[in-house]
Amino acid sequence: MRFRPGKIALLATVVASYLFLYLPILHIGLASFSRNSSFPYPPKWSLDIMTRLFSNSLYQTALGNSLIIGFFSAVLSTALAGAATIGLMRHAGRRAPLFLALFVAPLFVAEVLLGISSLIFNGLFLGLQGNLVSAILANVVHCFSYALLIIATQLYRYDWRLDDAAMVFGASPARTFFEVTLPLIWPGLLGAFIVTFIMAFNNLEISFYLLGATPTLPSAAWGALRYGVKPELYALATCVNLVVFLVLLVMFVLMMTRVVTFGHRPERERSAV
Amino acid sequence: MAYITLDGVSKQYGSVWAVDRVNMAIDKQEFVSLLGPSGSGKTTLLRIIAGLETPTQGRVLIDGEDVTHLPPHRRGVAMVFQEFLLFPHRTVYENLAFPLRMLKLQKGEIEARVDWVLGILALRGLEKRYPNQLSGGQQQRVALGRGLVGRPKVLLLDEPLANLDRELRQEMEVEIRRHQTALGIPFIYVTHNQEEALSMSDRIAVVRGGRIEDFASRTDVYDRPKTAFIAQFVGRSNRFEGIVALAGEGIAVRGEGVLIETGPREGIADAAQVAAYVKNEKVRLRPAEPGAGAAANALPATVKHVILRGAYAEYVMSWAGGELVASRPRREAEFKEGAEVVGFWEKGDVDLFPAPGEMP
Repeated sequence: MRFRPGKIALLATVVASYLFLYLPILHIGLASFSRNSSFPYPPKWSLDIMTRLFSNSLYQTALGNSLIIGFFSAVLSTALAGAATIGLMRHAGRRAPLFLALFVAPLFVAEVLLGISSLIFNGLFLGLQGNLVSAILANVVHCFSYALLIIATQLYRYDWRLDDAAMVFGASPARTFFEVTLPLIWPGLLGAFIVTFIMAFNNLEISFYLLGATPTLPSAAWGALRYGVKPELYALATCVNLVVFLVLLVMFVLMMTRVVTFGHRPERERSAV
Repeated sequence: MAYITLDGVSKQYGSVWAVDRVNMAIDKQEFVSLLGPSGSGKTTLLRIIAGLETPTQGRVLIDGEDVTHLPPHRRGVAMVFQEFLLFPHRTVYENLAFPLRMLKLQKGEIEARVDWVLGILALRGLEKRYPNQLSGGQQQRVALGRGLVGRPKVLLLDEPLANLDRELRQEMEVEIRRHQTALGIPFIYVTHNQEEALSMSDRIAVVRGGRIEDFASRTDVYDRPKTAFIAQFVGRSNRFEGIVALAGEGIAVRGEGVLIETGPREGIADAAQVAAYVKNEKVRLRPAEPGAGAAANALPATVKHVILRGAYAEYVMSWAGGELVASRPRREAEFKEGAEVVGFWEKGDVDLFPAPGEMP
């Protein structure tokens, strides 16, 4: 039983898949903490590269800007996508598939083109020069589509008749949303917020066109390439990965402790229906 | 002046009229049931009164005020839903306090009223539980309590007992009616279950295809069905078809192997095709007498099954034209399966309706 060939093949496939996914990241992580960064095997541990990165003020500014873009893009796109999803599910009726298709279409536009179009449009009609606001607006376009898909999978399980009940018992539509709807759907909104934050934080193509001279982490890394792959870039990649994995870890812990249930309705919701 | 008035209320979905020109006047102390098969529009009608749907045409008046275009939260109504729809993230106490908080009552008043409702519905001790920690019956009581606690102008109940088992349902029927009498507010109760409607209501509106087929006292609906649909839908009946032969004062209906006589009826023409209904409990039984000739309102039959229903026995019999069912008290003479009997009934127990193109 224990050595069934099928089981071994399955295990090997899983291991190979994970190696494929994580080896490059592990390599960079190892390199950024060792003295011989170009070929860190066996590694000689050192914090030199990290120190160099953190003493470089360009990267600090870039990190700040990336955080700003990530946060505000995530807030805006989650709020808009939440409203759009509720509209789709409650009021769109038979035309819902059409509206949905139009909402997610930006996903299929190349990000570079999205960046260029936004640059031209924002400059021409909104009077926005290349700056953070312009970059945030452009990032919201595709983040919105992602957020909509994430929130829709969550809200699909929500029983809208709970809203009917709240309204019959005297709650105005706004009150109904804050007293009943929001407390039950916030895990979906949080999921969308986290994913869109990471997307906007990591984005190069869109931000690049709209930022002008303002650096973000990806654009600073891209710019640094002109002078060759410097060890600072190793450290930078590791830091970005750490931030992203930290966010995912928080999400994972929330799921495991059942504070938040992504994709599942909590027990006490399900049995009430 | 009626307390609740529906004036020509209609609701159109696409090309379908889910509710079709409904007029109703309901008094303040009344318990009214909307009884009809699923898809008859009774729930839509209830949701129109609640304000969850807007009628395509017509007006809704509650306590003299035209509320047709008022949103649900400003109508002062309350509702008990079939699926309970308790707020899953709120405790029993918070669920019950919800309508009171929306009324912006003082904290002390809210506590007093929730305590009152916990008391009358025997929910004390469950205040801190969440809905998923309650049994179906307890959830149902909380749902009912949430409907009563705000002392609404009218309580709307949408098949509230459909998800409960039979025993619990009968208990709740008594309880619901008791609270209605105590509070003195109208209850409008939607159900497809005739037993529920008959056990609780003052008046029953039979709904069919979006229209009110009849709106009358429960005894009238049961004993004097106005249409063939009501005769079929309310109570359990034996149906016979035949041709009318007017005979002096009364009417004789000649069917295949059966002769039915009734008193005079209006609107029944000579030689018309009709359907006659006799309720199961109106069919009496006697042993067959060999050699006796055919008589009116008497049908020779063979007992096939005897179903015991506690105080009653249901005899399922076969006769030349099909099946005959009689429901008799147990204290009467009992017949065994296979017995030859005669099922008979009184002239006055026959309901007669024109048959062609009427029944679905």
